[in-house]
Amino acid sequence: MSTKGTRIPDWLTVPFAGITPAPSQEKGQDLFPTGNWRSIRPVYRDKLPPCNNACGTNEKIQGYLDLVKRGKYLDAYALIKEDMPFPSVTGRVCYHPCEQACNRGQYDEAISIRAVERFLGDLGQALTHDVVKAGKPNGKKVAVVGSGPAGHSAAYQLARLGYKVTILEKSPKAGGLNRGGIPDWVLPQDVLDREIERLVELGITIKTNCEVGKDVSWDELKKNYDACVLAVGLTEPNSVRAEGENKAGVLYGLPFLRDIGMGTSKVKLGPRVAVIGGGNTAIDCAREALRQGAVEVTMITVEANPKEMPAVPEDLHDMVEEGVDLMHGRAVTAVLGNGKVEALQLHPARFSGAINASPITVDKDAPAQRFAVDNVIIAVGQHASLAWLPAEFKNERGTIKIDRFGRLGDTKFFAAGDIVQLGSGQPLMVVNAVGDGKRVAFNLDKVLRGEALQPRTIPIDVIVDLNRMNMTYFPHFPRVQQTLLPPVSRRRTQDEVIQALTEEQAVEEASRCFSCGTCNACDNCYLVCPEPCIARPERSNGLYKILVDYCKGCRVCIEECPTGCLEGVPELDFDTGVVRMDTAFAISPGLHGRQAEELRKLGDRPAKNI
Amino acid sequence: MATTSVSKKRMVRINGCVASAQAAKYADVDVIAAYPIRPYTATMMALAQMVANGELDAEYIVADSEHSQLSIAHGAASAGARVFTGSSGVGVQFAYELYSPISGSRMPVQMMIADRTLDPPGDFGSEHTDALSTRDMGWIMGWSCDAQEAFDNHLIAYRIGEDPRVLLPQMVCQDGFFVSHITGDVELPDAGQVKEFLPPYKHPYPLDPRHPVSHGPQIMPEQGPPLQLERARAMEESMAVIEQAHEEFEKIFGRKYDPWLEEFMTDDAEVVFFLQGAHAVTARFAIKHMRDKGLKVGMVRLRTIRPYPTDRVNEVLSKFKVVGVIETNMGLGSVSSGGSLYAEVCAALYESQKRPLILSFMAGMGGEAIVLKEFYWMTQKMVDAQKRGKIEKRTHWVGFEE
Repeated sequence: MSTKGTRIPDWLTVPFAGITPAPSQEKGQDLFPTGNWRSIRPVYRDKLPPCNNACGTNEKIQGYLDLVKRGKYLDAYALIKEDMPFPSVTGRVCYHPCEQACNRGQYDEAISIRAVERFLGDLGQALTHDVVKAGKPNGKKVAVVGSGPAGHSAAYQLARLGYKVTILEKSPKAGGLNRGGIPDWVLPQDVLDREIERLVELGITIKTNCEVGKDVSWDELKKNYDACVLAVGLTEPNSVRAEGENKAGVLYGLPFLRDIGMGTSKVKLGPRVAVIGGGNTAIDCAREALRQGAVEVTMITVEANPKEMPAVPEDLHDMVEEGVDLMHGRAVTAVLGNGKVEALQLHPARFSGAINASPITVDKDAPAQRFAVDNVIIAVGQHASLAWLPAEFKNERGTIKIDRFGRLGDTKFFAAGDIVQLGSGQPLMVVNAVGDGKRVAFNLDKVLRGEALQPRTIPIDVIVDLNRMNMTYFPHFPRVQQTLLPPVSRRRTQDEVIQALTEEQAVEEASRCFSCGTCNACDNCYLVCPEPCIARPERSNGLYKILVDYCKGCRVCIEECPTGCLEGVPELDFDTGVVRMDTAFAISPGLHGRQAEELRKLGDRPAKNI
Repeated sequence: MATTSVSKKRMVRINGCVASAQAAKYADVDVIAAYPIRPYTATMMALAQMVANGELDAEYIVADSEHSQLSIAHGAASAGARVFTGSSGVGVQFAYELYSPISGSRMPVQMMIADRTLDPPGDFGSEHTDALSTRDMGWIMGWSCDAQEAFDNHLIAYRIGEDPRVLLPQMVCQDGFFVSHITGDVELPDAGQVKEFLPPYKHPYPLDPRHPVSHGPQIMPEQGPPLQLERARAMEESMAVIEQAHEEFEKIFGRKYDPWLEEFMTDDAEVVFFLQGAHAVTARFAIKHMRDKGLKVGMVRLRTIRPYPTDRVNEVLSKFKVVGVIETNMGLGSVSSGGSLYAEVCAALYESQKRPLILSFMAGMGGEAIVLKEFYWMTQKMVDAQKRGKIEKRTHWVGFEE
C-alpha cells in the first residue's frame, strides 16, 4: 500500500477533497489566496462626465440624474443645490452647454438635462422649507452688489458658509438679468420671486433701489463690510453706431425686456418691427415684440445664415415657428425718418474675422436698401457702467480688472459674472455667471479665513470616448421631448412656451444617462466577478472594494463595467496592498512560505563586495 | 420509486445493455445523463422507456455531448444525486477532461461503458482501449463477461463507490456487442434484496444553498499533493471495501464472484490465458476442448483492473509456467509494443520467486471474435514456449502469423 505510513502535516491539512466553506462565507477563501497571480489590478477611478465639465457651475449632473433614476428626487434636488441656487430658473433659461457635451449625443440623442433640472427646480419650489440651510454665523459681513445670476449665486454660497450677506440692488425688484433680461414666457416672474424668497429665508438682506456710486459709495462698501462681491453685470446697451440712431421708436434689447420684466414698460410697438442682432437676446426681443402687438417682425443679422448666429438652435427654431422673418448679411447704416423711425438703411455686411467676435466690414459701395419699419430694437450686446469704480480696477475692455481668483488687487473686493467675463472668451450666459459667483464666494471665504488662494492642480480626466465605456449595456432610446405651446397661441400670450416634464418623463429621461466614467452602483462588477473578489457593504459609489488577496486580475469586472469607472492598473504601479509571489505564499505557512522567509533574509544581507 | 415492476425476483432474457438499464432502475438512480453513441445507446433507450412509463422516477437529461454528459453527472452528484451515465468508444474520450475532476472531488458517479473500437476509421466492434485509456484517473474499473454479471457489477459498484470510506466514481465496463447486444438469462432480484444491499447515497458535503460550501476551489501548489495523497488512499482503501461488498452480495443474492480474479480450470494448469471481459466465455469453451485433448490449460480473468490487485495477480500467476495475455486493447509503442495489459501483468510478477514466461496476444481487436482455432493456436504458442523454456517473441498478432 503506497499510502501506508504517510502522514499529512497539520499545516498542509486540507478539507475533504478540497471542499471548503463557500467563498461568500466567513473565512471561505482563507485557504486559497490567489491574488499573487494578478498583473493587472482593477481600480475604481471616477472620471468627470462631460456634462459636469461643460456646466458653467459644474453641477453634479450625472449624480442627480442617477438619483432621479432611482426616484430619490429630494436627494437629487439637494445635490443640484450645492452648485446651483435656482435650478427652477436654469431649468428654464439655461443654454445647456451640458447637453451639447453629452456623450449620449454621439450615440443617439443627448439627455434633456435642462428639462430634468427644471423638474427638480419645480420640486424645490414646492417645498415649504428648503433643504439648504444657512451656515453657522461667522460674524462677518459681506456685501454683494447686484442680484443677477452671479450676485445671487455668490450671496447664496456665502450665506451657506455662515456670512451675514447684504445684497444691494439698484432696481426696485431683485433678480437682475433673471428678471430684466428674460421674458416671462421663458421664466415666469413668480418662479423667480420664489427663488429670491429662498435667499431671504437664508437670512440674506436685500436692499433694493440701492445703486452703488449713488446710494452707497465705494468707501462705504469698504468701511461697512468685511468683503464685497461686485456682480453688477452689463447694464448699458451697445449702439450700432448708425446715423439717426437717436430717433424716437429706436429701442435697445435689454432695456426693452427689462422694462417689461419690471412692469414699467410704456412702449407701444407699431405693426412692423425690426430687431438688429443675431444672438439670444435678439431672439427674445423678436419673440417679445410679437407678444407686444407687432404684426411683422424681422430679424436683421450680419451673420450670413442661421448657422452662424450665436444663438441656441431650438430657440431660433421656435422663433421662426412663431413667424419672425430672418434677413442675413446686412448692417444698419442709418435710421431714416422724420424725428421718428420710418425705415432702416441697410448695406451688405460681414464679420471681418471670426464670426461675431470681430469688427464688421460694411460694403458701403453697394446700393443701400431701404427697409420700412415702425420700430427697431437694437440687441447687439451690452457694456458696463463703472463710473463709481476707482480707475486702477478698470481694464481696457471696460470691465473690472481681477486676478485669476476674481479678486481686485490686494483688496477684499471680488467681482463675478458678466462684468468680468465679457471679452474673456467665456460665453456670457446665466450658468457661467452662477459658476463664477460660486467660485468667487469660495475664494472670498478663503481670503477672509487667511488661507492662501491656490489654482487647481488636480488633472481632470473628462471621459468623451465611448470606447472607454461598455456600450453593450446601453440600448438606443429616443430623447423625451418637452411639449411646446402651439405657435399660434404663443404669439399673443405671456404663458410659458416650454412645458414641464411629468415625473414619469423625468425618470425616463434620467434613465438614459450613461453615468459616463462614474460608478453608479449598478452592481455589475459585483455580479460578474467569477469569484467573490468584490465586496460592498451596500450598493453605493465609493463602497465597492477589491479583495486584493484573491483578485487574479482576470479583467472581467473591468471589461463589463458599463460606465468605464473601473480601470486596470498594472500591479507594478502599486507599492501598498501588494500581494506578490513571496508575500502571497507566506500567507500560509507552507513550503513556499518558508522559501519566502529565506528570500527575505537574503534581502537583508549587505551586498557582496566584488 | 415505482416498485410494481421490480418487486419480485424473476428470470428474464435480456442483453447487456438492458441488464445495465435494469440495474440502474433497481439502484433507483436520481439523475441519468444521456448522449447517444453505439453500442451503449441501447441502455439509455431502455432507461428512457422506464422513465416514460413511470417505472423509474429520475431526471433524464439529454446532454449536447459526452463532455456535457459527464459535467451534468458531476454537478448532479455534487448536489447529492445518485447518477448514472455511460458511453462508448470516442464518446468516452470526448469526456476525458471530467474524469479526474470527478474522482478528485470524490463524487461516486457511475458510468456504464459498452466498449467500442476507437477511430480510425469508424468501427463498431468492441475493443477495451476506450475505457482502459482512462484507467489511471481515479475511477474504480472492471469488466463483466455476460449480461448477468453486468447487472450485478452495477449494483456492487454503487455500493463500493458510495461507501463513505471510498467515495470514488466507477466505470462498469462490458464488451460492446459480445455482452451489450447478446441476450442471456438474467435473474432480476427482489426489490427488498437491493434495498438491503445498497443504502441510499449520501455525500458528506453536498451543494446545498442552505449550507453553502465551495467545491473545487483554486489551491496553492503545496496544497495539491495532500489532495492527491488522499485520493490515492481512497483508491487503496477501497480494496477492503470491494471484498466486503462481494461477500455481502453473495449473502444477499446468492451469486459468488471473486472480486479480483476468476480462475477457470487452473487447478493443475501449466499454461493460462489472462484476459478481461467477454472473450472469457469462448475461452472457457476452448479450454474444455483442449483439456479433452490432454493440454493443461486454464484461464484467469481479471474482474477489477482499478484498483489493480497486484498481490493477487502475483500470487495466482506464479503458480503457472506460461501466461498468455489476451489484450483486446491497443498500447501502441508500449512495453510489449502490443497492448497495455502485458505491462500490468509483468509488473505484478516482477517480485515473484517463480516468474512464469509471459506472452502478449493481440487478439479480439477491432471487435473481431476470437474463434476457437485461435485459442488452440495461442495455446500451442504457450506450450511451445514452455517446452523451449523461453519465449519466441513478446507479442503475437493472432491471425497474422503461422
